[in-house]
Amino acid sequence: MYNLQLSEEQLAIRDTVRDFVAAEITPVALQPARLEPFDPPLPLDLIETASALGLRSLALDEADGGAGADTLTRCLVAEELAAGDVDVAAVLTETAALGGLLFGQMMSADQRAAHLTDFVEDSGFHLALAAQEPDADSGLGTAYHRPRAARLPVTTATADGDDWVITGNKTRIANAPVARLFVVTAASDAGTVALLVPHDAPGLSVTETPRDGGWYHGAMGDVVLQDCRVPAANRLTGGNRDVSSLDDRGSVLAGTPEGQAINLGVARAAFDAALDYAKLRIQGGRPIVEHQAIGSMLADIAGSLELVRGAVWRAAWDADNPQARADGSLADIPHGLISQVAAADMLYRAAKDAAECFGAMGVMRDMPMQKYIHDTRLFRHSGHGASDARLRLAEALAGHEPR
Amino acid sequence: MDFSLNEEQIAWQMKARKFAEEEIRPVSLARDAIAEPADTIDWDLIKKGSRLGFRTSVVSKEQGGHGIDYVTQALVMTELARADSAVSKTFSQCWKWSHLIAAACTDDQKERFLKPFLADDTYVLGFGQTEANSGSDNRMPPPDAPNAGVRLRAELDGDHWVLNGEKQFIAHGNIAKLFFLYVRTDFSVPFTDGTTILLIPNDTPGFSVGKVYNKSGWRFYQNGEMVFEDARVPVANQIGATNAALRKGEGDQSGDMFGDLELAANALGICDAACEQALATIKSRQLRGEPLANQQLVQLKIGRMNMVTEALRAYVMRVAWEHDQKVHSNNAGLAMNLATDTVQEVTELNMDIHDGAGRGMERAADKLARDAFIWSHLAGDTVQRLKVSGRVIRAA
Repeated sequence: MYNLQLSEEQLAIRDTVRDFVAAEITPVALQPARLEPFDPPLPLDLIETASALGLRSLALDEADGGAGADTLTRCLVAEELAAGDVDVAAVLTETAALGGLLFGQMMSADQRAAHLTDFVEDSGFHLALAAQEPDADSGLGTAYHRPRAARLPVTTATADGDDWVITGNKTRIANAPVARLFVVTAASDAGTVALLVPHDAPGLSVTETPRDGGWYHGAMGDVVLQDCRVPAANRLTGGNRDVSSLDDRGSVLAGTPEGQAINLGVARAAFDAALDYAKLRIQGGRPIVEHQAIGSMLADIAGSLELVRGAVWRAAWDADNPQARADGSLADIPHGLISQVAAADMLYRAAKDAAECFGAMGVMRDMPMQKYIHDTRLFRHSGHGASDARLRLAEALAGHEPR
Repeated sequence: MDFSLNEEQIAWQMKARKFAEEEIRPVSLARDAIAEPADTIDWDLIKKGSRLGFRTSVVSKEQGGHGIDYVTQALVMTELARADSAVSKTFSQCWKWSHLIAAACTDDQKERFLKPFLADDTYVLGFGQTEANSGSDNRMPPPDAPNAGVRLRAELDGDHWVLNGEKQFIAHGNIAKLFFLYVRTDFSVPFTDGTTILLIPNDTPGFSVGKVYNKSGWRFYQNGEMVFEDARVPVANQIGATNAALRKGEGDQSGDMFGDLELAANALGICDAACEQALATIKSRQLRGEPLANQQLVQLKIGRMNMVTEALRAYVMRVAWEHDQKVHSNNAGLAMNLATDTVQEVTELNMDIHDGAGRGMERAADKLARDAFIWSHLAGDTVQRLKVSGRVIRAA
């Protein structure tokens, strides 16, 4: 049954995270010392504290020590975290999503046994998908409606006795600087393989992407693998999920409802700030919210947030409940892409309009509004960008199968 | 309506283009990337530009300046902004108040302030109006709020005004050698009838610079907080009559008449830069062997960027021409509002052209969008739009 009524558990998780963000994250995130620098350090202590609440291992089954959170629940958490600090949200949501995928669907029993305890118990244990490679960008529509030949990674994995030996470069990998365990894709005699590579495997090195101008949230780095050796048993066989679903990306969040929920959290923070300010700020003899021009702008922002939230939740429900399409409750179209396109455009506009309410303070680096604009802008243009997402949606509407 | 340029106008345009290409563009991104806001300005660049006449362009020839007309002003601002919008504004901020000096200063004031302004390549001008609780109210005085507007207090003590209070978000607040300051000289009436303009040299006792603001865009262009504690300013530094700051009359060319054109012409330079960047990128970049220029969506974006940029150019030139011809219209304000929409759309489309999973955003494209967002707070916010709408409605 298609039903977006939140469960008691979902409401409890959301409220817990909301309280945690208000008490612990927002006071730090709004400090000029964090807002002003071009290269603010990742607030690892906040990420650790949030991990201790279970937000890093959210998607693991309860039996494995997680919360068994479905996509919608992870969206609720991602939005709340991002309303506090987008970098905290990005790192935790990446690990949570990849954790659910790996431990829940893709690892063998032995692989789970090898990593699950460490993952659950170490609050600094993060995960990264190292698939994206330099010069492999197919953004801006260059692959639109073309048959995409199965493209092997340039990175190679060669069987050598009981080991795989991996050599290659991975670029702009989310969480790379903080990851303890990587999923690395590589070309082998058996086609594309996905291998589990610990961060301290000999031959693996990470270079952190400079934050300023790096145009990313959370943590990002390039990964170099030079004769990096891992046991043959580290190959992910996919379990009930095809490893090719890992695609060639640098993040598991690209185009997912959780990714859009982070964007939504940012825009919500912008809106909340603007509404509070518009009630307090007096110009023209009354609070500016009482002027039609500002009031209607805030109304549009509120509307945009709710429309996007609806699209994101629908996409999350779609991801969790295949039967909703089967019985016609949901249209058989890519809801994730629809939410991505809607979020990219509407939330950027929302953040920009919210900042406008602040006059000159909207552009000052010691105030958060300019950062909300930057952060929502980043969602329009990172990855392949919103324009490309629109084209992928168009392909799907035409029944084009990219692979 | 004839927009063909005469030789002198073309000469200024070419001089500005050369200076922009050879001197501004090479340092623009590096200046933008300096973290400390007070350090982004490059005084060598200002001196070079000043020696070429860009600081004093608008002072009349009789008074020792260059006396360029509005069309030339628009051309120069656009050319400079094409290399760096904030550098262009640093120069044109001096023009804005050159207009006021010419229109309203006494011979004695011109002697004391215009001469050093002309002689010193680092002498830049500022204007202090905005305060913590008077921003929009100053630009669009509310008829029903007698306590609104300028609060910085000036009291007469013999032949001096004594100033107490603060100004916020003041362009050149930390670097100008001379300010035109709005001060409240009568609290018993609405500020529109109780505000006076004073000339404040930066060495005025009791004046100090507060915070230097750290902006996300226009980083080169300095902006600071001004603090006055029993600052003493000679009555001889008063411009016009007491309490008459906001009653300058229709003939004044210092305020919106120039300022609206300025923001439109500067935005046009950013649009030109964005179009240029986008075209260079699509012609040089390939993704997986596919030239970007072959993509329909990319082509449509290029078309749109150029279409709205050229429409803005036509409007900017019309406004400049109208100013030179002394044609009164509401076009300057409308062009300024339009410039906000145009410059933001064009810089956002330029970012679209630079999307891609394998890289961050080009810093140059990012800078244009950050610079363009400044217009939301100067030229296209609802107050600036309502103000212009009001002119249109009143004129009908």
